[in-house]
Amino acid sequence: MAEFAWKSRSPLAHAVEPGRAGARAGAAGVTLTEIRDFALVQVMARRGTWAETARVAQQLWGIDAPGGPKAVFGQDVTLVGSGPDQFFVLSKGSSVQDPVEPLKQAFAGIASMTDQSDGRCMISLSGPRVRDTLAKFCSLDLHDSVFPVGAAAATSVDHSAVTLWRAPNADGGSPLYNLLVFTSFADSIWHLITESAAEYGAELGYAA
Amino acid sequence: MRISCPYCGERELGEFSYLGDASPKRPAVIAADGGVAPDAEDVFYDYVYLRDNVAGEMSEHWYHGGGCRSWLVVRRNTVSHEIKSVEIAAGAGARTGHPNQERANG
Repeated sequence: MAEFAWKSRSPLAHAVEPGRAGARAGAAGVTLTEIRDFALVQVMARRGTWAETARVAQQLWGIDAPGGPKAVFGQDVTLVGSGPDQFFVLSKGSSVQDPVEPLKQAFAGIASMTDQSDGRCMISLSGPRVRDTLAKFCSLDLHDSVFPVGAAAATSVDHSAVTLWRAPNADGGSPLYNLLVFTSFADSIWHLITESAAEYGAELGYAA
Repeated sequence: MRISCPYCGERELGEFSYLGDASPKRPAVIAADGGVAPDAEDVFYDYVYLRDNVAGEMSEHWYHGGGCRSWLVVRRNTVSHEIKSVEIAAGAGARTGHPNQERANG
């Protein structure tokens, strides 16, 4: 059999036009970056094995697995709670052929895993007007007091299920939010976000 | 109306789908001798189709499809929309220790 590897392409390959968009005056109010280089695995504990799953996560990555809607930042991975007894494992490197393979043995019999790397698109949002932008399409309260660094949420944006979490602040001190969206909705949601950010002036780009 | 999902917290109604009455219990239709009970068809018809139209407090199934994708049991007053309690439904996710767990597994 011929050996070949599928080459993954960003669903936003055409949509992202790096540079300024919207209002041109002054500094950009919002910075939107598509993150292309990532691997994403969903880990779902089987019935009654959450404690064991969390213990394995601690052994593998040295951090607590999120037992609720939280993002936990480790050296090599970020774990994001996606529902009861389940979380995403986000790591750098889309070049990894099968990100599930290295985890298989550790979670054997206690948790199920699926590779979501090419199923989701990741968009990071920051800048002084980022919360005003998010407020147009996200119904969550994102104030520091309720949605601090490390808070995460599974919610709906534009009728599509997304995963949103707040990462450590961006350079310059503005809040930084990451959004995972289904690849087939990425184009539409990117359009929604850039339109929402237009009045504040947006700096668009991608990180390979 | 907003529903406080036990996992996600308070969310707008649009994130949830309504299934209906959470109180009907699947009837046992196997008779003592191992055969099908004589009234099985009637009992099952009632279980599948007949619902009370409650004006007041009732317990309902809701699905948090726009969030953590959990099935919930919501005790809600259908007249005032006041919500008394929200719990993860039996068999949803892998969480243990839920009072309905036994029923879900059995």
